[in-house]
Amino acid sequence: MKKDNQLEELLRIPVHMKLHYRFPAGTHYTRFFREMKDSGKIMGVKCTQCGRVLVPPRPVCGECFVKTGDWVPVGPKGTVKAYTSIYIKFIDGSTGKPRPSPYGSGLIQLDGAFSTINHILEEGDPEKLYIGMRVEAVLKEKREGNIGDILFFKTIT
Amino acid sequence: MGRRTAIIGTGQTRHCSKREDVNQMELVYEAATAALKDAEMTVKDIDAVVLANMELFEGRALPDMWCGEGAGAFMKHAFKISTGGTSGTSGAISGYYHVASGLFNTAMVVGFEKHSDGNTSAGMALTDPFWDRHIAAAAIGNFALSVSEYMADRGVTEEQSAKVAVKARRNACNNPHAHLQMPDLTVKEVLESPMLAYPVHRLEMCPQSDGACAIIYAGEELAKKKCSRPAWVRAAVTRHDHIYLGEVKNRLSTIRSLKEAARVAYKMVGIKEPLKEFDVAEIYDPLTYAEIAWYEALGFCKDREGGRLIDDGLTRMDGELPVNPSGGVISTNPVGASGTIRVAEGALQIHGKGGKRQVPDVNLVLVTGYGVYCWSDVMILSGRPD
Ligand SMILES: [Zn+2]
Repeated sequence: MKKDNQLEELLRIPVHMKLHYRFPAGTHYTRFFREMKDSGKIMGVKCTQCGRVLVPPRPVCGECFVKTGDWVPVGPKGTVKAYTSIYIKFIDGSTGKPRPSPYGSGLIQLDGAFSTINHILEEGDPEKLYIGMRVEAVLKEKREGNIGDILFFKTIT
Repeated sequence: MGRRTAIIGTGQTRHCSKREDVNQMELVYEAATAALKDAEMTVKDIDAVVLANMELFEGRALPDMWCGEGAGAFMKHAFKISTGGTSGTSGAISGYYHVASGLFNTAMVVGFEKHSDGNTSAGMALTDPFWDRHIAAAAIGNFALSVSEYMADRGVTEEQSAKVAVKARRNACNNPHAHLQMPDLTVKEVLESPMLAYPVHRLEMCPQSDGACAIIYAGEELAKKKCSRPAWVRAAVTRHDHIYLGEVKNRLSTIRSLKEAARVAYKMVGIKEPLKEFDVAEIYDPLTYAEIAWYEALGFCKDREGGRLIDDGLTRMDGELPVNPSGGVISTNPVGASGTIRVAEGALQIHGKGGKRQVPDVNLVLVTGYGVYCWSDVMILSGRPD
């Protein structure tokens, strides 16, 4: 490694980028997001072989490598299977801005689903969070057809 | 198994938070030339080059093109491997396949990352755009979720987690390449460091480092000619799990990709009592809790006994199985290199070149890699070819 005075002389070239992307959602994500937007329903899809109800729904079960079958409604109530409270400043990938912290985050198993989804919890105090806590999805009034349509999960008793 | 193949040279940079005195290619060059020197070879002796890197962190595509020259890739068979945290071990396994296949007589693997060049947090935010991106909170956020499940399931305590951090940073003091060297660190200081994501404190998590690591493989004949004590690859296994964290139930407890990779690798070598049979382990510990969970998954102890292993000091330098004499990923994390460092540090112990971190009489070494939500690599190195 070079000495400090040599280090000072070396250039740093700053680069700032604004990039734009557009991701086609495919058949299953389209149906999931459209259903949530139009009717406020959260839907999963059931594997014809192993019977797991997958949320997010996909056309193929990764474990069985067969096409998935019927759509089934899940939630909006669910159970917290894992939780944390985030203290670091972290960039919200959907806005590019840091999210205010601390905030609660959990793996929520929606009633009727096999998998859990990672989402924001209304409760952010780690002393009040616990595994097995019952929660319910709170949806936006004006929904846009993306995962942000679920605002957070509120605590229910 | 293919033909007998061994690691005959390793090279590392000094890993630290900022290497502003070099660019990425120069960093790669430092590790590559150190490995060539260690193996007493020149770049002409290298038939194939594999680079390992998480290019999103530096925001530059095609690192194999931009940095390949630094690894001597000009006019050679060369490409890049990128599998998240496992990049460095997957790259090392790929290098092994090249030589074990008999198609190449030598191969050099260079893992590297220059976190300070870019924006790791932005890189981590660029996960799945439909689901993860909205709520992702870096490696820390998703690990912290798994820690809550793991603590509830296996009864591991905050103090036991902090002891792993203390062990790692003290071991790192014996490693001239390590990033975080903290000879006097205490359990209290670890638990009083800032909370990143409950219950994970800053000193329980890996840092972001700049660094590169290279290893050189040779086929049997050349390995025996060039190296007095080659580190023979006895097993190399990779397993991938689902794409969404939500489908990997109780990740740290179940960690089925690591358990399955270890089961297959142990069978190849005939390992029955890993804690007794291995002389050293270099395992990929992104955070303290994961190290304890991997003890259980790798069969060093029964489930729920990982915490006791650290309490009893069995994985310290003077314990039954020293785990991470290098200081581990918790002490040094140039992520694309972190897996390659595990392999290099394992080989170094067999070469007998560990300096102050050398464990006496090393014959059998376990190496692991961990990446993405739940991907695992396992390698077993030995002083004996069979
Ligand atoms: Zn299935």
